Amino acid sequence: MTESSTTTVAPAPVEVQKGWGGQSIKRKEDKRLLQGEGVFVDDIKRHGMGYLHFVRSPYAHAHITSIDVSAAEAVEGVYGTLTGEEVAALTDPFFQISSAPGANIKDYALAVGKVRYVGEAVVAVVAETRELARDASELVEVEYEPLPALVDAREAQKPGAPVLHDDAGGNLMWSGLYSWGDVDAAFAEADRVIAIDELHFHRFNSTPLECDGALVEFNRGVEQWTLHTNNQFPGFAAIMMGPAMKVGLDKLRFVTQDIGGGFGNKITSHPQLVVCCLLARKLNRPIQWTEWRTDFHMSMSHGNERWFSDTKVAVSNDGTLLGFKTKALDDAGAWLRYEPLGGVIWAQVTPGMYRWRHIELEFTQVATNKAPVSPNRGYSRMQHLWFTERVVDIVAHELGLDPVEVRKRNYIRAEDMPYETPNGCVYDSGDYARMLDLALELIGYDGLGARREQAKANGKLLGVGIGSTLDSGTNNFGQSRMINPELQFSGNNEVATVKLDIFGEIVVTLGTTPQGQGHETTAAQVVADILKCSPDDVHVRAGHDSYWNSHAGFSGTYASQFAVTGLGAVKGATEMLRDEIFKLAGAVFGGVPAEALELADGGIRIKESPDAFLPFMACGAIINANNAGLPEDLDVTLNCRYVYRPPFQVPDIEKKFGNLTLTYAAQIHVAVVEVDPETGYYEIVDYAAVDDCGNRINPQIVEGQVMGATAQAIGAAMHEVFSYDEDGNLLTPNFYDYHVPHALDMPPLATGAIESPSPFTPLGTKGMGEGGGAGIHAICAAIQDATGVQVKQSHNPYQRVWQMLQ
Amino acid sequence: MDVSVTVNGTTYARDVEPRKLLIHFLRDDLDLTGSHIGCDTGNCGACSVLVDGVLVKCCMLLAVQANGASIETVEGISENGELTPLQQSFNEHHALQCGYCTPGMLMSATALLRENPSPSEDEIKKALQGNICRCTGYWNIVEAVKAVGK
Amino acid sequence: MLLREVEYAKPGSVTEALELLAANDGARALAGGQTLINVMKARAASPDMLVDLNGLRELKGIELAGDGTLTIGAMTTYTEIMRSAEAKARPILGEVCATIADVQVRNRGTIGGNVCSNDPTNHLPPLMVAVGATMTVLGAGGTREVPAEEFFLGVYMTAAGPGELLTKISIPAGKKDGFAAVTLGAEGTCIANAAATVNGSVRVALGCVDAVPVVVTADSPDGVADAVRAAGLEPPSDVHASAEYRLHLATVVATRAAEEAASR
Repeated sequence: MTESSTTTVAPAPVEVQKGWGGQSIKRKEDKRLLQGEGVFVDDIKRHGMGYLHFVRSPYAHAHITSIDVSAAEAVEGVYGTLTGEEVAALTDPFFQISSAPGANIKDYALAVGKVRYVGEAVVAVVAETRELARDASELVEVEYEPLPALVDAREAQKPGAPVLHDDAGGNLMWSGLYSWGDVDAAFAEADRVIAIDELHFHRFNSTPLECDGALVEFNRGVEQWTLHTNNQFPGFAAIMMGPAMKVGLDKLRFVTQDIGGGFGNKITSHPQLVVCCLLARKLNRPIQWTEWRTDFHMSMSHGNERWFSDTKVAVSNDGTLLGFKTKALDDAGAWLRYEPLGGVIWAQVTPGMYRWRHIELEFTQVATNKAPVSPNRGYSRMQHLWFTERVVDIVAHELGLDPVEVRKRNYIRAEDMPYETPNGCVYDSGDYARMLDLALELIGYDGLGARREQAKANGKLLGVGIGSTLDSGTNNFGQSRMINPELQFSGNNEVATVKLDIFGEIVVTLGTTPQGQGHETTAAQVVADILKCSPDDVHVRAGHDSYWNSHAGFSGTYASQFAVTGLGAVKGATEMLRDEIFKLAGAVFGGVPAEALELADGGIRIKESPDAFLPFMACGAIINANNAGLPEDLDVTLNCRYVYRPPFQVPDIEKKFGNLTLTYAAQIHVAVVEVDPETGYYEIVDYAAVDDCGNRINPQIVEGQVMGATAQAIGAAMHEVFSYDEDGNLLTPNFYDYHVPHALDMPPLATGAIESPSPFTPLGTKGMGEGGGAGIHAICAAIQDATGVQVKQSHNPYQRVWQMLQ
Repeated sequence: MDVSVTVNGTTYARDVEPRKLLIHFLRDDLDLTGSHIGCDTGNCGACSVLVDGVLVKCCMLLAVQANGASIETVEGISENGELTPLQQSFNEHHALQCGYCTPGMLMSATALLRENPSPSEDEIKKALQGNICRCTGYWNIVEAVKAVGK
Repeated sequence: MLLREVEYAKPGSVTEALELLAANDGARALAGGQTLINVMKARAASPDMLVDLNGLRELKGIELAGDGTLTIGAMTTYTEIMRSAEAKARPILGEVCATIADVQVRNRGTIGGNVCSNDPTNHLPPLMVAVGATMTVLGAGGTREVPAEEFFLGVYMTAAGPGELLTKISIPAGKKDGFAAVTLGAEGTCIANAAATVNGSVRVALGCVDAVPVVVTADSPDGVADAVRAAGLEPPSDVHASAEYRLHLATVVATRAAEEAASR
């Protein structure tokens, strides 16, 4: 449709922000990354470090009858080993988020007594070189007594199903019933009730290019661990590790700098980190662990696989959606690491983007002999939003209506915002109909009829599909109490510290752990606007370090929140600093009131006589090194730490009602596919994506996130799946079989944006990094349009499309 | 086994096991950690370097095979610490996010531009086919390389 | 990702390479390494010694004889074939090589390595069978010529046995060739592929459906699909395709390859 591969359209009117916010300045992070001078965890070396290799289970389900490490330990250059038995003696099981029955499972850092998925870590071997550690791991003798494997979640609760965790008494981990509005009445009054038998969202994840890893040192004198690692949520890791290891959280120092992608998949590495910590202490040397691609695929962070069964949709004849009922079955894999939070997090977007008010969802999560599930980009909302989009398209198909019209009829309207959903979540702002119009314009919707005919003449089937989605951001962790009323979590926070250094340099430390989202740059833009300087004058420290004391319980980079929590903290800290600069200058100038002063040119001056100018350097020097004679009551440190706290209440746990997320970014995508009916092979021949995340501090960075989410959605929709055979072997354990799209796979892309500022956030921004899987929704819709067959699976490889046409 | 390799103009003599992959030799033995490892089946391209001017994935070469060769890695692209036009174009076009695939992308782009100073969009995509990125979706990378074309 | 211990030898001549292979039971020839090194990373196979064929001039080069026969050294890379003026005598060669993997792999991967590993999803085994190539195998007893159709014995098994080397591949002149595949993503791994040559009638070699390329013939492209169905194939089932779907794809790609060949 256009000649170049990407076009960007920002339709007027967009609120023009004065200053650095709103400008696409170039990223500060790039120089070191472009020169190969980034510091990723495997780049770090320590003298005498031991390389760790995990012995992993070849069985999906088996008793461990014996472990003999003697042959491995006898090899010269092998420093030592760690087994599950030792772990069980040294640590307590990890805290479980779940209430019963999931609460009862016993999760340790290595398998204890039993293995429950192929690839589960059983023994750790540490040696002088990487190769030797792997060699020695082959000498570890583990005897297993294999058990039948459970690989289909739909079988998990049937009599006779293999049971993974005897402590839980079965494979049910958690269940809950959600019901709002008056479902029975709505269904009784509906013109039609449309039944959809089974919808299935598949198992995949975002396969960040860098896998997990750590270099852990133990300081014997102060009994403190330093973990150089790429874990993206150190707050969560510490809360899990400290109690298990029976140490205070301050004994765990997390240091990250550059992280090669996270997408949620680097949140639950705490078991491996515990192994590293125990070995660092046991062997008295730094422990280096690099996870290889196959290890990652077999053991880390698969996304939630979810079935929606017995779905019933109450509709009017004109396509108005009144309500739905469904049963959601979620496959958690072998362990609950961040789960079962997925069982409530979907509820942030209960109605999707639509105005229906009568909703019932029965959520059941079970364990299976597969890799443990944990957050994957779009975590649990993506699955639910895919469900709502499928419902809309299937209803449209059943009623013979245009999917565009059904969406417009049912979208929550701009004038309804802020909109309270049936379960009390508040969508802050947005204009979905306008976004849809823009997306359709970008794709050349009016001309698609002709393209369809052209394709037909070439023996191909053309289809167009819409995928609308929300990215709910800044969690209220109080929702965890709907999973387990005894949990003591609620709200959210993030921390930033901004100071003037001794020579006046502006230094910012964040609590976050960026993996490419450009925090150093956007934070600098926010600071520069407040202190009236340039982002070049603002030095933002790279990465995260617990020693900076610039973090709190929820610190990290996950769940689409930096633009709100992180930048909110930066704004708060910088305003504190600004106010202190005014106070200091006022005192230094002999009692001048704040109204008479202004910031300018890297300092502060008296408005009426600008020659009276105190550069930041002078401010920093006075407070740090030259403070005699200052007024006794001058409360200025120029080192300002601010904790941003979003305005949340603890939700009503009984009614499962309350605001679960502060902001709701939106994306609407349109995909055009061309199907070869002879083979089922199809290509995406055109694509448009429109985004609204409120005020954009750096539009180019925002667009980059939209693009990345689009590419991942394309991969997931077409190729990427974690598929298991009946014995629980993963059939896609590496990049050879798990096809990640490359540059040739990408369609032409047109992007657009509108900005509906959030009324609830410090800068009017909304978090938006995850996206919400709009590409998956759009491609499913496009395939349905091309084939005329209702699409009920999120994953549609060529074979499935071909089968649909038979 | 003794090997002598020249990397970015500096010659290194080391004794290595034959089984050591060239990517591990560069990263672990020579402390040139700019080239990365993203997979274990030769698919991702994060380890792409130039060996005697030829673009290869050095996870599929043994260090001993590079004996006597002249290798170029990402660390050798800049002159005097300043970004080259290609690197600047990546910066301007937001062609990197986490930066993990970037060294490999730069080497593949460098190989392309040496041979084809004005590549078309299709030629660029084909040249980058062996480099996986999970963050950007490739669009900005292709634009960045195209912008450097003459 | 980490190989087992292995010895490494870099012979200075093909004779020396053969001696090393013959003298060491666990020795394997190392060609481009784009398959073998990955197999060794997974420790699915761990030779005791690698005999590095890179740098042996005797195994390189592309020659075009007066009668149009192309002779390609086994260590010729895909990139070299794509760029060779001589190889344009049989254009399908460069065209297919250009779709194998990616630039990095094409710069190291060799035609000899591709046919000797004989992975069922490889492009070149069916192509060599379709074009009627002849493989020259050098062993202790001297050289022998093996027609492509007899060269492929099983998965990762060819007529070049232990202690032997494939040295060159000879391909007769011709232009009426075709190749079609359904791949995992654009120009990715083949799920089904077929190479075809038209010389009066149609000859198609199918990859991906068995341990070795399978030949079917027909009078014209129209008859190819039936010929495939009549061949009694039992293709493998894997995560990318069921046996039934793969068989169906085989009929389609075989027909398309034949149509392409006929149209040249």
